[in-house]
Amino acid sequence: MDRRQVLTLAGATLVLPFGKIAVAADNPTLGVVVKIGGIPWFNAMEQGIKEESAKAGVDGSMIGPTSADPALQVRAIEDLIAKNVKVIGVVPNDEKALEPVLEKAMKAGIKVIAHEGPGIKNKDWDFELASATGFGEAHAKLLAEKCGGKGKYAVFVGSLTVPLHNAWADAAIAYLKANHPDMQPIGDRYGVAESADDSRKTALDILSAHPDLVGFLAFGSQGPIGAGRAVEERKLIGKVFVLGPFSPGQGRKLIKEGALTGGFMWNPAEAGRVFVRVAKLLAEGKEIKDGDTIEGLGTVHPDTATRNIITDNLVAINADTVDKLADMGL
Amino acid sequence: MRNFIRAYPTEARLIAVIAVIMLFLSFAAPSFLTLANLTALLNNNAVNVIWAVGLLVVLIAGGIDISFAVAASVVQYIAAHIFMSIGGGNWLIGFLVAGGLGILVGFLNASLIHFFRIITIVVTIANYNALFGLLMFVTSGRSIYDLPDWWTTPVPLIERQSADGTWYGLYLPVAIMALAILATWFLINRTTTGRQLYAFGDNPEGARRAGINIGRMQFIAFGWTGLMAGIGGLMQVNIVREVVPNALMGRELDVLAAAVLGGARLGGGRGSVLGCFLGVMLVAITQNGLNLMGVSPFAFKMVVGLIILAAISTSNFKWGGASRKAPTEAK
Repeated sequence: MDRRQVLTLAGATLVLPFGKIAVAADNPTLGVVVKIGGIPWFNAMEQGIKEESAKAGVDGSMIGPTSADPALQVRAIEDLIAKNVKVIGVVPNDEKALEPVLEKAMKAGIKVIAHEGPGIKNKDWDFELASATGFGEAHAKLLAEKCGGKGKYAVFVGSLTVPLHNAWADAAIAYLKANHPDMQPIGDRYGVAESADDSRKTALDILSAHPDLVGFLAFGSQGPIGAGRAVEERKLIGKVFVLGPFSPGQGRKLIKEGALTGGFMWNPAEAGRVFVRVAKLLAEGKEIKDGDTIEGLGTVHPDTATRNIITDNLVAINADTVDKLADMGL
Repeated sequence: MRNFIRAYPTEARLIAVIAVIMLFLSFAAPSFLTLANLTALLNNNAVNVIWAVGLLVVLIAGGIDISFAVAASVVQYIAAHIFMSIGGGNWLIGFLVAGGLGILVGFLNASLIHFFRIITIVVTIANYNALFGLLMFVTSGRSIYDLPDWWTTPVPLIERQSADGTWYGLYLPVAIMALAILATWFLINRTTTGRQLYAFGDNPEGARRAGINIGRMQFIAFGWTGLMAGIGGLMQVNIVREVVPNALMGRELDVLAAAVLGGARLGGGRGSVLGCFLGVMLVAITQNGLNLMGVSPFAFKMVVGLIILAAISTSNFKWGGASRKAPTEAK
């Protein structure tokens, strides 16, 4: 036993009695550190955390750093450890950068839940509301359904170096290849979907070069918007379908006109609620087993090797749902 | 014709290069030489041309402006809030507000340059960072999608359907581009101020001794760039129908490259509006052609970069002294 462990033990014996009193009197505490504060996505998540905390009897709160900086997340988690919360939730900016501080948290007996970070180490569980395959396939299925299972389509990704977008695109292309052999992608994927303007210009060029094009699969938040505008400009609504994930507030007008066909997303408010539900289970010392049902995730199949719970709880964005989603500020 | 080539060697060479590229593309990509594609090229690059002719005036006056694209974003944000607070507005108010705000940002640059005697690149890089930081700080990165209808509704100048059913047309930004080109041409070629700008850019000390008011030159040059930045920003919103704080970042370098490609000299004293237009179009046509030919997007930036390099490096290369000999032959 070295000096550090002695000190930790001594500290623990000092803190424990008070800690126990505090837990007995209060609800379990949960602190969720997200990528960045103040943006609509995480505002919605905070809403979810607050609502569900009040309902479930958890003392839950969200911490949003001022910029998407891993160092700020590390500091926020250090603060939570110092406050001796029961559960720490995290939506990591950089999985690697958080490993040491999360290890410290777990050593201090704090439970760790991650979201949108399946590769992160030192966690009790990571939960996902969308799998890369499920997300890509959902868009591909909808495209095939809209265009009757045949024709040429173009694929946009945010950048050729964004792993997630490319994983979605891979899954979508593989699905269409396997199930709808009459649908062919044109050429390589275009890395323009992080700019509405670039997406629009590229889509106009592609429409000129391929008059028989039937669809755009655009992964990257600005891609569907830009491609939708191009389709609207060329008055091809109903002939060319544009699918992809996008911000409902931004795409509201386009989707109602039909220039944007639709897409899928996951609900950040629901992710916030799931944080609280999983935190409560862990705080009560319950284990999550295969076949358990957790509200918001459905029946789960936790992977005990990677400590990931991956589910497909996609929310469709279409003319009927867009208003509700946009009103949440998304 | 020969007079034109002699008087405007850069522009003439650009026209030749563009003609060759267009000829090649008309064979390589059947959809290139269609009205739908050519009008789209103009629509898509109107904003870049507006910015380029604005920047040209500062370049002629011997300065450089890195901050105009970010300034355009700032103008878009403030303008959006002004329009919302007055309950909508219209195009006239839009032009006045966007142009006015743009001029203010330009004057801010000019004051720092003139009164504190700081070189233009330092001031505008500083302002680029300060304005962008301020914008992100104040808006927390939020985009505005809920904009007045007049601002986001496309205004077609002409709209037609071609035989194969494709719709095409020219929209308001193209008309504004034409106006910006004309106005800038008039300013730099047909007014005393314009001649003073060239003189000032070519030799600031000489210009000062010749009695040109240097402060006035800076304010006119940066005010004009600001005006065009604001109006370009206004047009950009009409095209993309949203105000996104970081959407225009990085555009300043594309525009700068195009202006220099068009013969504007970074040292000042040289440049023309025709050159600016051609510079923007050369890059645009190349990119458009690569898209139409189905060239891998991986190769895009590389090819565009190579064309800029080739065009700029040949512009300083004297072809066997031909350009120096030409005038003597004529005599």
